[in-house]
Amino acid sequence: MNNRFKIILLRLLSPIFAIFLAALISSLVIVFIHQNPLKVFVTMFSFSFRRIDSIAIILYNATPLIFSGLAVSVGFRMNLFNIGVEGQYLMGAFLAALVGFSIKGLPAFIHLPLTILSAIVAGALWSFLPIYLKVKKGVHEVISTIMLNYISFSVIHYFIADLLMDKSQKMLNGLGSPLVRMPKLMPTALMPRMREFLNMFGFNIPKHVYLNWFFPLGILLAIGIYYMLMRTPFGFELRAVGHNPDAARTSGIKPEKVYFMGFILSGAIAGLVGLSDLLGYFGYMDLDFPRNYGFNGIAVALMGQNSPIGIILSAILFGFLNRGAEGVQTFLNVPMDTVIILQALMIISIVIITKVMNDYIKRMEKREVSKNASGRTAGVQL
Amino acid sequence: MHLAELLASSFRMAIPILLTALGAVYSERSGVVNIGLEGMMIVGSFWGALGSYFYGPYVGFLVAMLAGIVLAIIHAIASVTFKVDQIVSGVALNILAYGSSRFMSQAIFKMATTTPHVAGLVKINIPGADSVPYLKPLLTGISPIIIITILLVPISEFIINRTVFGLRLRAVGENPLAADTLGVNVFRMKYAGVLISGMLAGLAGAYLAMEHTGMYVEGMTQGKGYIALAAMIFGNWTPSGALMASLLFGFAESLSFRVVENSFIPYQFIKMIPYMLTLIVLAGFVRKSTPPAADGVPYERNAG
Repeated sequence: MNNRFKIILLRLLSPIFAIFLAALISSLVIVFIHQNPLKVFVTMFSFSFRRIDSIAIILYNATPLIFSGLAVSVGFRMNLFNIGVEGQYLMGAFLAALVGFSIKGLPAFIHLPLTILSAIVAGALWSFLPIYLKVKKGVHEVISTIMLNYISFSVIHYFIADLLMDKSQKMLNGLGSPLVRMPKLMPTALMPRMREFLNMFGFNIPKHVYLNWFFPLGILLAIGIYYMLMRTPFGFELRAVGHNPDAARTSGIKPEKVYFMGFILSGAIAGLVGLSDLLGYFGYMDLDFPRNYGFNGIAVALMGQNSPIGIILSAILFGFLNRGAEGVQTFLNVPMDTVIILQALMIISIVIITKVMNDYIKRMEKREVSKNASGRTAGVQL
Repeated sequence: MHLAELLASSFRMAIPILLTALGAVYSERSGVVNIGLEGMMIVGSFWGALGSYFYGPYVGFLVAMLAGIVLAIIHAIASVTFKVDQIVSGVALNILAYGSSRFMSQAIFKMATTTPHVAGLVKINIPGADSVPYLKPLLTGISPIIIITILLVPISEFIINRTVFGLRLRAVGENPLAADTLGVNVFRMKYAGVLISGMLAGLAGAYLAMEHTGMYVEGMTQGKGYIALAAMIFGNWTPSGALMASLLFGFAESLSFRVVENSFIPYQFIKMIPYMLTLIVLAGFVRKSTPPAADGVPYERNAG
């Protein structure tokens, strides 16, 4: 009993240890460029938590990371590494932008869901090839998805810059460098912001905050995924295959089928990652559409230890770090990229700490078992 | 366009892939999957350019190899000593390489994505090349790194197959328990494999920055680290196989440059060729090749 409490405590503490370890090491980097790390971290906090709109901006930053963290974590649950979230969400955003601008005359309650659905479909389709190659040809999903990421960059570049470019835009800007972007989405395809809703409760959110309904949607999805994993037969199969595919097969589960369904589910979720930016902020897709959410999702999933609540919290943590980094760059002239370093260090620290703790827990359980076996003939508790 | 020109350019494009693939052979033969090669190339290209900018090309290459080794040490500590998932560790290193290069570039050059122009090594011209006009592109302006890389193929073949070190390296990758029982220091061999791969990937990155482009540009590696892994798999985990596979990828890449110049196909699709080729190669050939038996499996001394 006492041990179970200890295990939960260790699980909760390990991300916190990882944050401290990563912060400590990145302090060295900051010292290296003759800045005071303490001042940098203090600025991060003071810049982020000064006003209510800063908190709304953090939640806006966290929104795509919730989706990408969930997408990566569904893969991790099956012991598959979906590093292709990057390409999947760009394809998702692209198809959504296409559906959003080309279909006209639909009411919003049809157009918006249709746009979201097309992003899901594109993400799912883009994840089909790697899992097919994995199951049928034994190609490691990490390399195939990375190759597909590069291919998706080119595909999107082609569609945005050559085929679907907004020509009127080019004409308007004339002599200056024209914005290479697709036509603007119909207003019926855009996601409303949460500003009016929050203002009703007395929060005074200014206009430049783009927090939109994808944030609560992301939280709902996290709950849905949790329910799916823990309470449905498919979720059970998914976890079983992740733990031990051979054992799962012996008990009548077809791992190949689970891999297929699970990976495509991961891709479908990934399709949604870019929508908060596309439908809640830009309203069009261009060549500078935000990148790297897929890679950030890996850090989010690992820090959140694949649990939906953990993912939401770590997405918010990274949302805060990104916000803080803007402040640090503006006020202290420390490059924003400190956050990327911090993120990479967090990944390494969290996996090492988790590993060490799991080994410790295993040893503890072993001791417990042998103690029980030698003492009473009581059942083994797990 | 001359055939000799195409061949010469294939060779030049193949070099960074080959160097990294050779490194991957050492790492994977010792049983450690190194997906962080991309990141080691990135730091190699940045630190190579940095070193060359301040102290000249020789220092540049040394610093680049050191930078690759530093990342490799992190990978080895995480995946050999602490036995964490090798893929996760490698991916984290790639992120670290990307972020730290941007950070350093911003801090030193006040530009996150490029460095100023930097010097490369003195190019070698084969004497008498002018008298054979068709072969001139192949025989002139050769970077010494190209020659070193080509020499590294038979040398690596010899080290891995004919020396005690190579035998132990392979033993550790095939059956670490048996190697351990016979008194081979499993962890030390794995460290050696990973560190060699970091050094060579760092060198490859420096080649890209100093010999190929003359400066560091963010994203200049363009996934060559991953392509090198594919080349190593395609080459069946051997140095000479890696040579053949890298030449194929180098050819694809140089072909894509040529086709761009006069073509109806949009250049974005031509840019995809190396990545498509990687997928096709892996899908078509990966089953016929055999990885080291304990590749990617951390060695736990008292497991079972």
